[in-house]
Amino acid sequence: MPERKIKLCSLREAVDSIPDGARIGFGGFAVYQKPMAVVHEIIRARKRGLTLVGSVNSIEADMLIGAGCVSAIETSYVGLEKFGLAMNYRRQVQAGKLKVVHYPEMLAWDRFRADREGLEFWPVSCLGGSDIVNKNPDIKAFDNPMTGKTMYAVPSAHIDVAVIHAYAADVYGNVQLQPRHLLPQSMDVAISRSCRHIIVTVEKLISTEEIKKAPHLTAIPAFRTTHLAEVPSGSHPTPVLLVNRTDEDFFRKYVEMSATEESFQQFLDTYIYGTEDFGQYLNLVGRDHILSLQEQGGNV
Amino acid sequence: MRYTTEELLAASIAHTIEDGEVGFTGLATGKAAANYITNIPIMAMELAKRTHAPNLTILLCGWSHNPDLSCLDHMPESEFENELLNLPCEAQMTDWPGPWSHRAGDISFAFGSGVQVDREGNINSTCIGDSEHPKVQLVGPIFLPEHLAVFGREYIMMPHHERRNFVDKVDYISGVGYPGGMEGRRKLGLTGGGPKYIYTPKCIFAFDEEGKFFVKSIHPGISKKEIIENTGFDVGNLDGVPTTPEPTEEELRIMREEIDPKGILLQR
Repeated sequence: MPERKIKLCSLREAVDSIPDGARIGFGGFAVYQKPMAVVHEIIRARKRGLTLVGSVNSIEADMLIGAGCVSAIETSYVGLEKFGLAMNYRRQVQAGKLKVVHYPEMLAWDRFRADREGLEFWPVSCLGGSDIVNKNPDIKAFDNPMTGKTMYAVPSAHIDVAVIHAYAADVYGNVQLQPRHLLPQSMDVAISRSCRHIIVTVEKLISTEEIKKAPHLTAIPAFRTTHLAEVPSGSHPTPVLLVNRTDEDFFRKYVEMSATEESFQQFLDTYIYGTEDFGQYLNLVGRDHILSLQEQGGNV
Repeated sequence: MRYTTEELLAASIAHTIEDGEVGFTGLATGKAAANYITNIPIMAMELAKRTHAPNLTILLCGWSHNPDLSCLDHMPESEFENELLNLPCEAQMTDWPGPWSHRAGDISFAFGSGVQVDREGNINSTCIGDSEHPKVQLVGPIFLPEHLAVFGREYIMMPHHERRNFVDKVDYISGVGYPGGMEGRRKLGLTGGGPKYIYTPKCIFAFDEEGKFFVKSIHPGISKKEIIENTGFDVGNLDGVPTTPEPTEEELRIMREEIDPKGILLQR
């Protein structure tokens, strides 16, 4: 019998599949369950000219922006919620180095739904009068064929690659969610439906036998997944629901070190360029500290 | 004082809530923002529920339906972690799309804020200066465009009443108010009611049936001069503007003893 394709690979191999200039969607939502290990590897690989497409973005966007990987972002929010502002984002927009296209929060999400349905756009009637539409030539007005009233065609997200950090998977890329989930995991599913190049990191590898025992938890079936890597705590410092808590200390350190361009360079030199991979980075943050962030000993 | 400004606002908002409505609020952090965007709204909705609106649905963070706040020792600061996941409630939105569809009109009212609001009720949370070359880049429009376009009505909650927050024309229209009045909104195809009220530490601004701005009431102890001096646009003639009604003893008792006995929503 011919062998089934194993999707498991190194983070570097996964990141090598992302071309410069790609449109990328990151899973998770706001400051929750962001695929940070892949973000680090993109920075180490010195990718350039990326366009980030999202709904509510945070540290993953700010870090890539600060490292010079990003030329444009399409989203409703870039910030660090209770931890503060995304300073690299603010600096680069104000310096004219980063293009921002503003979309409303749930409409930004619906752009991925459009792709899922094979549509070029998501139709909406509630944008009139806002600078969302006034300042975005990619949103086109059209007449509702049923009523004749003005509607707006909001372009689909149209990403080249989706990057997700999830709970578990088998080597073939059947990706399992935690037994309970919220919007950050729902976003993972949404973006995984919107394109055909999907990079997934997981907290743990499990056997296909285990996948088969709970197939209702497989949110991304194997045929969708193109690259897979096992990276425990791969969303650090953001949490994995039911598995790891937010590393609040590290978030505060990030905010402190992104206060100026110089201090952020030091952050990159220390934590990203100064480490060979995400494992070394976690060692630098401190293994005991990382373990202390586990919920219920890491069992869901 | 017999009551705090936050209690005054909460009671006032509660009076405007009708039975059977669905009220939406986000989770803001930082003391002033949290009070105005999250805690006063929650207090107002809980009060309305106990006085005249038993069928009100409270959406905390938009996704936790009718959460049982008595189980908390402090207000959560994270939207999607264990603390809120495990907070007893009646329903959770675990996916988008979920239990409510805002564009189809499911949300009766919500609470929003921004750094600038103008006399037409337009609100800005995106940037200061020209958005192509902003002087200050803020977090972005977030959910405000949808709040002001399709929700039944919006309460704009402004924790600071200063000239720079109340401007002639916002630098970026994140959410649309009443350009050209209510008729203007209709022409733009906006199906929701728009920003009906603006609550500040000094007064309540409002918009009438035609979408025209007026000062609804001024809080006890605040002078007309203070309103004029701290508002960056013309507030009109303030003669005859009433004083914001004070919360009754019974309302204060419900807020303090029934809703918030631990003082986690509003500090006293």
